[in-house]
Amino acid sequence: MGVSYRGWKKRLIILLFTAPTMIGVTILSLYPMLYNIFISLTNRSRFHYKPPEDIWHCDPKTLQHYCWQQPLLGNYQEIFGPLVTKEALEAWLRLFIVIAPLLLVAWAVRRVKEKSLSPPSTWYWWPVGMAVSAVLWVVVKANEAIALLSDASDFFIVMFHTFLYVLACIPFFFLFGLILALILNNRHIKAKGAWRTLLIFPWAVPSYITALIWQFFFRTEQGTINQVLKLFGIQGPAWLQDPIWAFVAVVVINIWLSYPFFMVVILGALQSIPQDQYEAAEVDGATWFQQLTRITLPLLRPAVMPAIVLSAITTFQMFNTVWLVTAGGPIRGAGKPGVTEFVMIYGYKTLFRGDRYADAGAYATVIFILLFFATLFSLRFTKITKGAYQ
Amino acid sequence: MRRPSRLTLVLLYLVLIIAVFIAIYPIWFVFLAALRPGQRLLTLNLVGMFLPVEVTWENFHAILFDMPFLTWLKNSLFIATLTTVFCVSLATTGAFAFSRFQFKGRETALILLLAIQSFPGILALVPIAQILRSLGLFGTHWGLILAYSTGTLVFTTWNLKGYFDTIPIEIEEAALIDGATPLQAFLQIGLPLARPALAVTALFGFLAGWNEYIMAEVMLVGKEEMFTLPVGLTHLAQDMEIPWGLFAAGALLISVPTLLVFLSLQRYLESGLTLGGVKG
Repeated sequence: MGVSYRGWKKRLIILLFTAPTMIGVTILSLYPMLYNIFISLTNRSRFHYKPPEDIWHCDPKTLQHYCWQQPLLGNYQEIFGPLVTKEALEAWLRLFIVIAPLLLVAWAVRRVKEKSLSPPSTWYWWPVGMAVSAVLWVVVKANEAIALLSDASDFFIVMFHTFLYVLACIPFFFLFGLILALILNNRHIKAKGAWRTLLIFPWAVPSYITALIWQFFFRTEQGTINQVLKLFGIQGPAWLQDPIWAFVAVVVINIWLSYPFFMVVILGALQSIPQDQYEAAEVDGATWFQQLTRITLPLLRPAVMPAIVLSAITTFQMFNTVWLVTAGGPIRGAGKPGVTEFVMIYGYKTLFRGDRYADAGAYATVIFILLFFATLFSLRFTKITKGAYQ
Repeated sequence: MRRPSRLTLVLLYLVLIIAVFIAIYPIWFVFLAALRPGQRLLTLNLVGMFLPVEVTWENFHAILFDMPFLTWLKNSLFIATLTTVFCVSLATTGAFAFSRFQFKGRETALILLLAIQSFPGILALVPIAQILRSLGLFGTHWGLILAYSTGTLVFTTWNLKGYFDTIPIEIEEAALIDGATPLQAFLQIGLPLARPALAVTALFGFLAGWNEYIMAEVMLVGKEEMFTLPVGLTHLAQDMEIPWGLFAAGALLISVPTLLVFLSLQRYLESGLTLGGVKG
């Protein structure tokens, strides 16, 4: 655009058009963010809760007022300090040794694909890499390293659990979304619209309601799941009290909530794949599986990658559902974060249960930086900053 | 595509049936609990877990007339509607400009928006509460509306921009050459063409206000007559003796309209949800 407008007139138009968005964002998003960074540099807490009279000097008599933290970055030191002690660094090294084979495989696969026009089959490299990692895990006693870091730092264990959660959820989102989308895209299935409508239900019903219903399903005595298991003579586990089963439960609930989004995205992408590609493949005698791996999956990639990155980010920040189902429990011991106490739940508890405003501020800033880089990374897939004219 | 064998088709339908059962059982379960006399979710009657055996409307009557449900409904409708209006109207012109105009700082502004989006909302509750307090809006519905519409603003701007990107720019350029002003080009060409994206954006704005729980819980604490539906219902479910029948009836009354709106807009979901411009 800008065919007929140049100079200040054009600038004015742009300013007027973008002003509503920018003003809204500045007042209620940008300002809170900056304010939060400010708080993270002070000692504001339950005991120092009043706005400062003189922020530079904490008057020992009026301890109720907050002032700059001593040292200024003290709250950040509290988060990262325990992760860089000598023992912790040694533990990091051990963990790095365990994942090194996987990094190597990723690098090698990319390299091979770049080098040759018809790259050799590399799919079996991954299982091999994983097997080597598993052996190394035992050799370097990685579980001891994790235990050491978890004992040293709440931040580590919360992040560890959250990453584990994301890793456990995303493949299932994709898998279930893909299977259902493939079936619904099959020309010989009848009443597609009806099936699709029913399958979208979990996305459409308010999640705080379904969270409470699932919370009931997973109860030990009265819960529907254990009652059904009882019919088969199985004594179900105490889902929400057992650390591992509680984790499984929140994974299951999140899969149930999220597969419709993937199904819709994949279905949309499937419909844009030209049919003649399959017809040509069929003429060449390609099997169903070959068509899937050579045509469908590669062509789904541009639509699915952003969906994966976006839902990884939202799963990382999951709050409502997990909060209503487990409230971060079951606890592992006094004062330690629970097994399902993921990033946001830990932050919420620091803020509202502990009134540790400054600590929560520093924590929020760290999470923000992490998420920001994750978002920048996702840009590589979405090309969102490009304009229509590009 | 070859016609799949009969066995394959049967298997495909079987997968669909199991998936649909899992997808709707939790909602069906709420329906059963709402119809069941008394305040219990559990029934040891196996048939009762899947089919309505005793039917009563007393739970619906009780939640509608003995509880402040209708007040909560009114609050939620008010908040969600205004959130929709605000977030769509605040985002549309910006999204249009980001898609259509070439200017210095455009990319920076877009990345700034993204950066802001990555700030964890729950952890910004304290500063947001502080601003709303200084505006005199803390603990009011207007405060929530303001917080919700700006909270979804980045997503809405992105999504609309992504959709505007897919509309050929030549149409507007032709209009401009014919003497239309940019505002006319936006109102008479851009907006009507972006209808699917506007529908989806409005839907997400509405759901943001309709479903949000934790901010409302923090801001409206202790004022039962100001509660939104999510706050009111979760309070019901967190009582020591949970009136499950009431909860279920209320949950159903909320879910059905949401479901209907969502499903009626679902044909727009595929085309209107651009995931930031991947499509097209």
